[in-house]
Amino acid sequence: MAPSEDSLPVLKILLIGPSGAGKSALLLRYCEDQFDPESTTATIGIDFKTKKLAVRGKAYKLNIFDTAGQERFRTLSTSYYRGAHGVILVYDISSKKSFASMEKWFDEARLNANPDAVLYLVGSKLDKVAVGGRAVSFEQGKAFAEAQGAEFCEISSKTRENVKRPFVEVVDKIVQKPQLIAGATPGSKSIDFDMGGFPSNPCSC
Amino acid sequence: MESLNAETWDTVICGTGLSQSLLALALSRSKKRILHLDANDFYGEHEAALSLQEADSWAHAHTGGDVLHHDEPASGKNTNENVASDKNKLLTPPVLSGKESTLFRNAHVWKHPNAEAQGLSFPRAYSLALAPQIIHTKSKLLSQLVSSKAYRQVEFLAVGSFYVYGTTDAAHGTTLARIPSSREDVFSAQSIPARSKRALMKFLKFVIDYDSDEQKPIWQEKADNPLSEFLVEHFKLDEHLRDSILAMTLTLDGKVTVKDGLATIHRHLTSIGLFGPGFCAVYPKWGGISEIAQVGCRAGAVGGSTYMLDTPVSIDEVGHGGDIWLKLSNDISIRTTSLISSQQTYSTTSPTISRLVAIINSPLQSLFEILAEGAPTPAVAVVAFPSGSLPNNSQPRLDVPVYAFVHSSETGECPSGQSVVYLTMQTTPQSSHVLDIALATLLQAVAADGDVLYKLYYEQANSSRHSLVTSQGSATVFEFPSPSLGLAFDDESLDTVKEAWKIVMKDDALDNAFMQFEDREGMGDDDDDYD
Ligand SMILES: Nc1nc2c(ncn2[C@@H]2O[C@H](COP(=O)(O)OP(=O)(O)O)[C@@H](O)[C@H]2O)c(=O)[nH]1
Ligand SMILES: [Mg+2]
Repeated sequence: MAPSEDSLPVLKILLIGPSGAGKSALLLRYCEDQFDPESTTATIGIDFKTKKLAVRGKAYKLNIFDTAGQERFRTLSTSYYRGAHGVILVYDISSKKSFASMEKWFDEARLNANPDAVLYLVGSKLDKVAVGGRAVSFEQGKAFAEAQGAEFCEISSKTRENVKRPFVEVVDKIVQKPQLIAGATPGSKSIDFDMGGFPSNPCSC
Repeated sequence: MESLNAETWDTVICGTGLSQSLLALALSRSKKRILHLDANDFYGEHEAALSLQEADSWAHAHTGGDVLHHDEPASGKNTNENVASDKNKLLTPPVLSGKESTLFRNAHVWKHPNAEAQGLSFPRAYSLALAPQIIHTKSKLLSQLVSSKAYRQVEFLAVGSFYVYGTTDAAHGTTLARIPSSREDVFSAQSIPARSKRALMKFLKFVIDYDSDEQKPIWQEKADNPLSEFLVEHFKLDEHLRDSILAMTLTLDGKVTVKDGLATIHRHLTSIGLFGPGFCAVYPKWGGISEIAQVGCRAGAVGGSTYMLDTPVSIDEVGHGGDIWLKLSNDISIRTTSLISSQQTYSTTSPTISRLVAIINSPLQSLFEILAEGAPTPAVAVVAFPSGSLPNNSQPRLDVPVYAFVHSSETGECPSGQSVVYLTMQTTPQSSHVLDIALATLLQAVAADGDVLYKLYYEQANSSRHSLVTSQGSATVFEFPSPSLGLAFDDESLDTVKEAWKIVMKDDALDNAFMQFEDREGMGDDDDDYD
């Protein structure tokens, strides 16, 4: 049996990229197996989603954070990046503009995230290829990712194609970095607010 | 995609200082249409944490000694308690941009000529807090962060020892002595003579329930007298112990009253142990208050608010059908039914403080000892230099204290092996010089062979201490007071957040719903993937 939930190492994974790239759709498809072609406002109220995942025979708890719309005017805060083990950068393969912005997003991720954090590039909306909607080739995406030292894949949240792959591969990379995974249990120097002080605080058991 | 000027915003919040950001948090489950702006391209406004590059340009923007950039003369305007009478115009339109603030002045940066060779890292390796306040564990700020669930995104570190600089006894000369704050401390303190120990114990016992009917008569008549006199006259504390107790109040003018001083010491002592042994206050990792501000803004964004930085805004017109028209820097006009900002103009009655932020290429390890069994390693140490304790040859005797907050690299504000020292004092003509002396004295006292790599000096004043509310028809303009100059977070500013919250919420404001939220976190699955 898998170890109990609370003892699992927690990995913080961020989704970033331009508005409309399909970040929230990927999060909802991966975590809840839902896809809503209409709504972009559906993401209001989503801070992060939690999902369990095992790689190399070991289970992890992923906390996957969405940008909460703060990418729209590029106002993601430095605190968003704190403690992230992995950053998934998403662009829309049917939009040249969204692909062209990825360089800036890689720069921002490098500037703000832990230098050891794993970066991963995702081209989304792969289903649009079938209706002639591809604007960025697989090779372009792949070459760019390689230049950035990142892994790459293309996905469709609509058809589910490849949606698990970025998460599995990011975690696989993370767990190979002991210095990164060491931070997966809360630091002994920070104070645990759940332990005391506020008796009214419901216990999280 | 919805556009900014499509409909009327319920509120536009200007500035991402702590008050505005806590308001954003408080409103984050309200379904109100909220636009939150900042003129700077970073979060936190006057409480920001800056990289070296940001600090350099911030200093550049605040070098002026002449503090007003407005047409009107300084006098009269700054009290700013005007109430608009004109139907269409505010008498004194609020300065909405922290960039035009007159709260800071005389900023300058000094860099070691061989800073990089001495270990100064890249600019982003630093995060210098403009307002490094400690937060007592008893503070309502922490309970609100807990009840709103925002605390999960902030990492809190322990504030450790409070030290006082001075002569304890002839044998040791001038040193840093830990301020005894518990029975155990007092008993184990070797430098305190037995008679003084008894006096100190008596005082500590008194403070714990100083506000009770039994103890009140002891101090009530002297409530507005200086605490320092009261300590000597009533408790017969010697000079060293008096200085130690005063240091606990973090009083900047050294003249804290009996009433205020006892309240502060009470808060200090009753905060010890609340979240764990050995510490009375916490400090948010990565730059203090600024981190809480960012988490508040993120909560606002998660709740659907729109965020824009680097976007100055000005008031176009007020009153048109109960709306306020604003113009953004990109010439977009927007309208809102309420406008929340913070006062950017200093009050003529405000004290001015001088701050020196210094990066040291030594960890100053000895200041961060663990204080009790099972206690976390502190990341912040407080050092007080009582009035008159610093060596100064030529000048007139310095009659205000200097405080140093020493931050270890655990705060994330500097690379490991280094530390950041934040010095504060009430401004005097020599304060820039005095703070340098205090810094040198500190480094000598901890026998650190560290060099100063980078220094940022500035002076800070505050606005009127009241919020300003101007109403016209159904439109309301609300201005928070500027951040307090105190070294510990003051719960009073939370009341103004609630005040603003009520204005935006109107009839939907249920008192007991303020900052009371459930976790947003959703376990998204029953079918875990294993491969
Ligand atoms: N066809 C298709 N549309 C998608 C896909 N993923 C997202 N979308 C649509 O693209 C739009 C933007 O997606 P969203 O997840 O909100 O983007 P975000 O701004 O990056 O969070 C929405 O209308 C989605 O329905 C996909 O895989 N295929
Ligand atoms: Mg989204």
